[in-house]
Amino acid sequence: MSRKACVVGIGETAYTKRGAATEREYVLACRAILAALSDAGIDPAEVDGLAPFADERSSPWTLASDLGLRQLRFAATTAMPGGGGACGAMLEAAMAVESGQAEVVVVYRSLCQGQFARIGRTEATGGGDSSPTVMEAGLEADALQAFTAPFGVLGPSVMFALPMRRHMEVYGTTSEQLGHVAVTQRAHASRNPRAVMGPRPLTLADHQGARLVVDPYRLFDCCLETDGACAVVVTTAERASDGRGRPVAVLAAAEGTDGAQLGGAAANAGATATGYARGGAAGVARRLFGQAGVSPGDVDVAQLYDNFSGQVLLGLEDFGFCAPGESGPLAQSGALAWPDGSLPTNTAGGNLSEAYLQGLNHVIEGVRQLRGESTSQVADAEVCLVTSSPGIPTSAILLGRA
Amino acid sequence: MTERWFPDAMPSPAVTDDTRPFFDAALEHRLVIQRCASCGTHRHPPRPLCPYCHSFAAAWTEVPGTGTLFTYAVVHQALLPALVDVVPYVVAIVELDGTGGTRLTSNLVDAPLDSLRAGLPVEVTWEDMSPSLTLPRFRLRSER
Repeated sequence: MSRKACVVGIGETAYTKRGAATEREYVLACRAILAALSDAGIDPAEVDGLAPFADERSSPWTLASDLGLRQLRFAATTAMPGGGGACGAMLEAAMAVESGQAEVVVVYRSLCQGQFARIGRTEATGGGDSSPTVMEAGLEADALQAFTAPFGVLGPSVMFALPMRRHMEVYGTTSEQLGHVAVTQRAHASRNPRAVMGPRPLTLADHQGARLVVDPYRLFDCCLETDGACAVVVTTAERASDGRGRPVAVLAAAEGTDGAQLGGAAANAGATATGYARGGAAGVARRLFGQAGVSPGDVDVAQLYDNFSGQVLLGLEDFGFCAPGESGPLAQSGALAWPDGSLPTNTAGGNLSEAYLQGLNHVIEGVRQLRGESTSQVADAEVCLVTSSPGIPTSAILLGRA
Repeated sequence: MTERWFPDAMPSPAVTDDTRPFFDAALEHRLVIQRCASCGTHRHPPRPLCPYCHSFAAAWTEVPGTGTLFTYAVVHQALLPALVDVVPYVVAIVELDGTGGTRLTSNLVDAPLDSLRAGLPVEVTWEDMSPSLTLPRFRLRSER
């Protein structure tokens, strides 16, 4: 048997609307990790690696102590930011176990937007009715904001609306096509008991009639604000063969960004005119498929990052499921819908309709598909693509049968 | 003082060594864009070095302030309390004339929201936010 990385456990807390969690975010992190380890049949003492991502507040060091790890041998956070990092954390975990730095690594995300700042708002950077906020430029990434925030680019909704509007202008992509993404994912969520929006049906008319948040994005084009935590257990194929779970192979993992996206579209830094309406992940996609020796046509089911509906379209293009500009018609054709679409996508509902765990919930749904446990199960699924956020430095993995 | 479109409570930019010439010129209602002093390539936002030739020497070129709308977003949700009475406002990415395709993030003011499209000609206008801060905004320009 090999040291090839496998997922052997998945776990999550209940996902609730923002503010509805009854326990602290950190406690939810502990519960999600224990649930994933229970699913894997692994004693928490045997965990020797932890891989968070994004702006995770539950630190590996306190978790190592509170969960009773015998020895922490590996802890790393991918530098791919925010929603670009979930698959990067999976890459860290896979590299750690494949290199022998660790045997059992837990990737996790706890995020209670009801207990801390809301990601979609600017409360963290201040602002108020009385006094102007002088921004700080301690970091170079913050210095770029001097050319965005004073002009009202005050959150992800504005940042990600700009390239999508360009996509619409250049290719004729429509709001209705964005609506097809949202409606399809809500239909998937309706079968998923964990999905926060599962009980709320959504029609295309509902989508089109909803208020504009940042044009072109309407309310149901935007991800949820939720409370919850989730975790994924990664170990070697050799170790997985002893376990009680059904291992799922990490076929390939890649992270990075094409130069055109450095700094993000809203700041314009480095983005070429032709690269502006792309996700910046074409290089990640090339390396990912190359590592696994598969092509987009081999992908049976996909979990494409969706902080906004249009991000799914950019993912379809960057990862080669259609040419640039063709993703809107592809979504409108029903391709993303389970069970009849050619590429059922975000089969648990995604960030738009399941919960906003910044894409680690997408990894979990990918694992469920390959175990045959999804509530929108693709028959005989053998390869699942999971991506993190387009438009910022990002990452992706391919999951397959072990 | 100029006309005002945005409230005092907007975030104010922190100024660094790299960006001071941009904001100093804006106080005089002049739009300047950074160029590499070695290879001449425009770059924006201002950065400490040229990504093409790696020179740390910068020069500044005054531009006419005309350009075209590259993309835009109409913000309907007040993301700061002070914006409640301002929304909807237009965030505009402007491709500036005479800069080799350099784009600037700003706002399109006094424009009808139902006729926005990429390629519209625009020109700079200025908003004095305080005695120490002036920001460039853009208006539609009638002639091309």
